Amino acid sequence: MLRIEGLTKTYGEKKAVDELSLHIRPGEIYGFIGHNGAGKTTTLKSVAGILSFDKGEIFINGSSLKKSPVECKRQIAYIPDNPDLYDFMSGIKYLNFVADIFGVSSEERQKRIREYADAFELTKDLAQPISAYSHGMKQKLAVISAWIHSPKLIIMDEPFVGLDPKAAFTLKEMMRALCDNGGAIFFSTHVLEVAEKLCDKVAIIKQGTLIKSGTMEQVRGDESLEEVFLELEAE
Amino acid sequence: MLKVLLKKQLTEVFRGYFYNRKTNKARSKANQIILFILFAFLMIVVLGGTFTSVSLGVCFGLTAAGAGWLYFALMSGIAVVLGAFGSVFNTFSGLYLPKDNDLLLSMPIPVKTIIISRLLNVYLLGAMYSGVVMLPAMFVYWAVAGATVQNVICGLFLFLIVTAFVLILSCLLGWVVAKISLKLKRKSFIVVLLALAGIGLYYFIYFKAQDWIKDLIANAVIYGDSIKGKAYVLYLFGRIGEGDFIATALFAAATALLLALTIFVLSRGFLKLATSAASFGKAKYREKKVKEKSAFGALLTKEFARFTSSPNYMLNCGLGVIALFALGVFLLIKGADFLALIGTAFGGRTDFSALLLCAVMMLISTMNDMAAPSVSLEGKSLWIPQSMPVEAKTVLKAKTSLQLILTLIPMLFAAICAAVALQTSIAEKLMVCVLPLIFTVFSSVFGSLIGVTRPTMVWTTETIPIKQSGAVMIALFGGWGFVALFAVPYLVIGYFIGLLPYLVTWAVIYAAASALLYRRLITKGAEAFERL
Repeated sequence: MLRIEGLTKTYGEKKAVDELSLHIRPGEIYGFIGHNGAGKTTTLKSVAGILSFDKGEIFINGSSLKKSPVECKRQIAYIPDNPDLYDFMSGIKYLNFVADIFGVSSEERQKRIREYADAFELTKDLAQPISAYSHGMKQKLAVISAWIHSPKLIIMDEPFVGLDPKAAFTLKEMMRALCDNGGAIFFSTHVLEVAEKLCDKVAIIKQGTLIKSGTMEQVRGDESLEEVFLELEAE
Repeated sequence: MLKVLLKKQLTEVFRGYFYNRKTNKARSKANQIILFILFAFLMIVVLGGTFTSVSLGVCFGLTAAGAGWLYFALMSGIAVVLGAFGSVFNTFSGLYLPKDNDLLLSMPIPVKTIIISRLLNVYLLGAMYSGVVMLPAMFVYWAVAGATVQNVICGLFLFLIVTAFVLILSCLLGWVVAKISLKLKRKSFIVVLLALAGIGLYYFIYFKAQDWIKDLIANAVIYGDSIKGKAYVLYLFGRIGEGDFIATALFAAATALLLALTIFVLSRGFLKLATSAASFGKAKYREKKVKEKSAFGALLTKEFARFTSSPNYMLNCGLGVIALFALGVFLLIKGADFLALIGTAFGGRTDFSALLLCAVMMLISTMNDMAAPSVSLEGKSLWIPQSMPVEAKTVLKAKTSLQLILTLIPMLFAAICAAVALQTSIAEKLMVCVLPLIFTVFSSVFGSLIGVTRPTMVWTTETIPIKQSGAVMIALFGGWGFVALFAVPYLVIGYFIGLLPYLVTWAVIYAAASALLYRRLITKGAEAFERL
């Protein structure tokens, strides 16, 4: 589903991501952990096609992101760490805007908006302007907009921040359902307990370099993910 | 604490001069100097020069009639109107809309301190606008009537009193705008309508001012006595400029009191206004089937939604829509007389009327520059178009199309009205219609290209990309330059070439330039957008 090969991204003199390679298969929830400034967001933004990178290749379902960015973006959805949406639109207008861009039919979008907005208890607020939304409501809207076009791969940067426990639970269910249907998810988180329970695989990044990756069992062994992470950070 | 906040506020006000808003890097010294020289030229030479000539025209007559106080009352009035008018929206967005309001309010900073630091921003802008009137007015008076220690000291106090009064008035108007924005539903349009009414009033006064001033000078003694009798406060106010210490002390004390009262009232209501979510009514969501749009259609609809949601954006970048329609109506009603008058002024040459009409339409169309700040306005939501399966060139086309649609339609109306009003051949009438339309395409593409190559992505209020960004300045002044480039040479070579070939030549030039710029927009411009 997603293959990252030797991804390198520099900001001036600083290497934010250095020769990072990863492979995410269909059905996998892949967690991405690391300290602040380790290169998580840069990697995720590169995969989402927002940032250009200096070296390496990113393939989405076999298509090169460099060569066919639009085709790749059609298959993915991205949720940033801070849901800066179009404040001048109402929630429903934003969802329709996203659905139009991704070519979702009128019937299909209506069905999905109903399903996800009900699940997140956002239906009654859909006509309100986004500028009136709380952080959590914006995050829910960003999640619905990501799911509205049934992407094959969803990239999320700290998706649980701002969500109430019920919404966080709903999101976890949606993530699992998408992967059970052959999709894949690549997301960053600082909540290691969530990563441990939710992820099939996990990658740890430190100073732009991937230091450990694999299935949850391979990475943590007999220890908890937190212990492994802290040990690796201390090295 | 106030010092820290003032430093932050000043850094924000002058940030554009020291830092490149696109790269967020410090500008070179040479770059800073050039920017300050350009700014100084605009304020001192262009605006200052204009008001120096106004002051010269008024000062001689009134001081000769012994009504120097009337001169100062008049010039102060102009300064107050210009200063308050120029900074009312800045007051609203600067006081109540900055994105760091929540951050500052969460800190152990008294609300009054936050307001004072914010007010400095408003004060500077108001002082700048009123200063271009007051400073020339005072220098002219000192040159004409003679400078004494007394009238210089009082003159400086007069300047401070006027700027403080502008601040008070701006605060009151800004507060009214803030209240409106909290209470009303269709507030964007209501604010625009109110502002347009204000602009209309402003220009009505502006065009009538010359007659009024002439009348005032001719009957200075009569008016002077009348004002002294009926509005003694105004007389006393004008006396400040003439060096009356008692009047200066009285007005300084009254202004200080009013300012303190304003800050007190603002600080009481500030917290509520700054933290209130606007009243959005009780919009209820009703599920309904929507019509699907193409990606381009969706992007264009989004651009319209952004434009119509912001009074600031509409007023600063879309006045040409109204102005072109107004021009068209004017031409239909008074066009024939007006054009005949111009023809007579140019020795009976109707070609000058046609050329002037073209230039005026083109000039008015440059008031529409909504494409220039469009990329900058994406700000933190830039990730949305960048992560979507649309090519950057499609995003830029949608931004250009907004300006095209909003300018071409009124331009077509104005151009048809112009053609009706003009007494010339069919071919020339046709070119008077075609050329401004082609120019509209050219300026839309030009604005879009400048907007994507010189964006201002880091901002705390939308006033910065809309009013103070390099892209908007270049689009606006560049537009004027392109109109001048078209109109001025005709004065020299028009007689030899003839109007029709001249208009056709420029239509071809602007069409070719539009095609070249469009090509650049969808290639280099799209690359620039992807790199943001």
